[in-house]
Amino acid sequence: MKQGFCLSFGVLLVGLQACATLGEGGASRLDLVRQRGELRCGVSGKIPGFSFLDREGRYAGLDVDMCKAFAAAFVGDANKVEYRPLTAPERFTALRTGEIDLLSRNTTFNLSRDASGGNGVAFAPVVFHDGQGLLVRRDSGIKRLEDLRNQTICVGSGTTTEQNLNDVFQAKGIPYKPVKYQDLNQLVAGYLQKRCAAMTSDRSQLASARSGFEQPGNHQILPEVLSKEPLAPLSSGGDQRLADAMRWVVYALVTAEEMGITQNNVDAKLQEAINDPSKTALRRFLGVEGELGSKLGLPNDFVVSVLKATGNYGEIYNRHLGPQSAVPIPRGLNQLHRDGGVLIAPPFQ
Amino acid sequence: MQSCFSVVLLALIAWALWSTGFWLVQRADWSVVSGNLPLFAIGSYPEASRWRPILWLGSLLLLTLFTLAQPLLLRRGIGLNSTILSWSWLLMMPLGLWLLAGGGVLDPVPSRLWGGLVLTLLLTVFSGVIALPLGVLLALGRCSELTTARQLSKIYIDGMRAVPLIAVLFFGQLLLPLFLPVQIEINRLLRAVVAFGLFAAAYVAEDVRGGLQAVPPTQSEAAAALGLGPWQIQRLVILPQALRIAVPALTNQAVGLLQNTSLMAILGLVELLGISQSLLANPAYIGRHLEVYVWLAALYWLLCTAMALMARQFERQDPSNLIATRRS
Repeated sequence: MKQGFCLSFGVLLVGLQACATLGEGGASRLDLVRQRGELRCGVSGKIPGFSFLDREGRYAGLDVDMCKAFAAAFVGDANKVEYRPLTAPERFTALRTGEIDLLSRNTTFNLSRDASGGNGVAFAPVVFHDGQGLLVRRDSGIKRLEDLRNQTICVGSGTTTEQNLNDVFQAKGIPYKPVKYQDLNQLVAGYLQKRCAAMTSDRSQLASARSGFEQPGNHQILPEVLSKEPLAPLSSGGDQRLADAMRWVVYALVTAEEMGITQNNVDAKLQEAINDPSKTALRRFLGVEGELGSKLGLPNDFVVSVLKATGNYGEIYNRHLGPQSAVPIPRGLNQLHRDGGVLIAPPFQ
Repeated sequence: MQSCFSVVLLALIAWALWSTGFWLVQRADWSVVSGNLPLFAIGSYPEASRWRPILWLGSLLLLTLFTLAQPLLLRRGIGLNSTILSWSWLLMMPLGLWLLAGGGVLDPVPSRLWGGLVLTLLLTVFSGVIALPLGVLLALGRCSELTTARQLSKIYIDGMRAVPLIAVLFFGQLLLPLFLPVQIEINRLLRAVVAFGLFAAAYVAEDVRGGLQAVPPTQSEAAAALGLGPWQIQRLVILPQALRIAVPALTNQAVGLLQNTSLMAILGLVELLGISQSLLANPAYIGRHLEVYVWLAALYWLLCTAMALMARQFERQDPSNLIATRRS
C-alpha cells in the first residue's frame, strides 16, 4: 500500500508539473477575474481581527478588507468576492490549482515561498508586520524591555519564540528567567496565574488572547517587536499582471493615508481634483488625468473604487486592530514611514 | 474496603455533576450560542431567502417527529401509512436540493453560501444516497459467481478501506482539480459528497454482504424452484431479507457518516463545525470555546439519537418481527 501511495504521489507531481507549464502560456488571471465579475479570495476565516464571521454570517477582518479592496479595483464592486476559507496546508495548493485567484490569509513573506525553487508565489507588499511581542500587566510598571531585567517571562518551549526571546535579550544583555509551557493555552493560564511578569508570542496572538481576558484593559503589549513576521497577500507566481495590479492596490491604500484621503472624503477629493488642474499628483492618483490604471489593466479610477469600498490603510487597520476594536494591537511598524513605521509606497507616476 | 471505594466514587461523581451543572447554569455565557442560532442552522445563506433552508429543516424535524410518534399514532388510528411516510422521506431529498439551490421560481443560490447544520445534513443525506446503492451493488458483486465482478468489487472494497477518509477527501478537494483542465470546474460540494459516498460505499458493501450471507441458501433454492429468474431472486427474496438484517450495521454507518462530515471543516467547508470555528474567531466571542463545543456535542448527540431511534423503529416494522410479536 505504501508503494502504491508513493507511486500515486509521483504521478501527482508529474501532473503538477504539467499543469504548471500549461498555465504559463495562458492569459492573465486578472482578465479571468474581470470577465467572471467576481474575485475568489482565499482567507483563513478563523483568525480574530484578520478574518472571521460576524453575527450576520459575513466575513470581516483585515485580510477580508484586503480582498474587498482587490475586488473593488478589479471588478469595481467590493461585494463581488467569493471567500474561500482555507487551512494552512491547503492554501498554496488551492492557489496553484486555480481554486482561488489570490490568497489573503496572513501568510508570512519569506524567501522559500517567494522563490521559484520554493512555492513560487508572488507576494504583494506587506499589509501587516506581525512579530513576536510581550504582554505585561499595566500595574506592573513595565514599559520597555529593559524593565524586564531579572523578571520571569512565560514562553512556549521548543519554539522559535523561545529562541527569539533568548537572542534579543542576550544581545541587549538583559538577564531574565524563562518559564516554559507546551502550548498557547497553558502559556496564557500561567500568565494569568501570575507565574510570570510577562508572556511572549506573536503580537496578533497576544492581542486575541488578551481580548479573552476578564479585564483586557489591565494588560498591555509592549511596543518592542522581537522578530519579523511580515504578512502579505499573494498570487500564483508567473502572472506578472495580476501581481502588479495587487501590488499597486496595496500601495494605493498606503498612499491614500499619506495624502489624507479617506472613505468619507474621497468624493470631495475627487471633485477637488477635477476642479483644480494644478493638483497633478492628486489628479494622477485618483485617475482624473494620466493612464495609470490602464497600464495595470484596471480602470483609471480604480483608486477611487478601492477607497470608497474600504477606506485607506489606516482606516482598515483601525477598524479591525485599532485601539477601539476588540483586538487592539499597537500599530508600531505598521505606521506610515513619516510616523515612524515602515509603510511607504512608491510614487504613482 | 469496598464501601470505602463506593463512598469515594460517589463523592467524585457528585462533585463532577455539581461542577458541571454549576458551569452550565452559572459560569457559561450562552450568548454566543443563542445570539447566533441562524448561523449555526443555515450559515451565511442570503438573508432574503433564509426561509428556504429553514423550511427544509422544519419539514425534516416534523417528519422525524411524525416517524418517531408513528406507533403511538397508529394505535389511535390516526397515523400515516408507512408507505406515505417512506415516500415523504424520499421526497425530502430533491425538495431540499431545490429549496437550497433554487431554480424555477426560486432565485439560484450558489453552494458556497450554504453552511451550518443544513450543509451537514445535506452532506450526510446525499453521500448516503450514493453509498447505499453502490454498496449494495458491490456486495452483490462480491458474492457473485462471476470472477471479474467478484475481483473488481473485492479490489475496490479492500482498496477503499485501506485508505483513510481524510486522504480521500484531500484527494477530492485539492488534487482532483490539478488533473482536470482549467475550464472544467466541478462544484466543491459535489466533490465532497462524491468522496464521502465512494468511501462509505465500501463499508456499506461489507455490511450488506453480512446480510446476504445470513440469508440461508435454501431461500434462493426455493425461489428458483418456484421459477424465478436470478434477478428476481435477488430483488424479491434475498435482498429484502439481507437489507433488514443489515439495518443495525447500516445505522452505524449512517451515524458515522454524519460525524465524519465534520472533517470537512479542515478542508474549508463551513458545515456545523466549520461555522463554529469561524464564529469563535469573532473578537466578540473569543474564549467561548467550551460553550460552543458543548453546544455542538449536544447537537450532534441529538441528531445521532434521532437517527438511531428511527432505525430501531424501522427494525420493529420488520414483518418477521411483527409476526413474532403478534404470536407472543
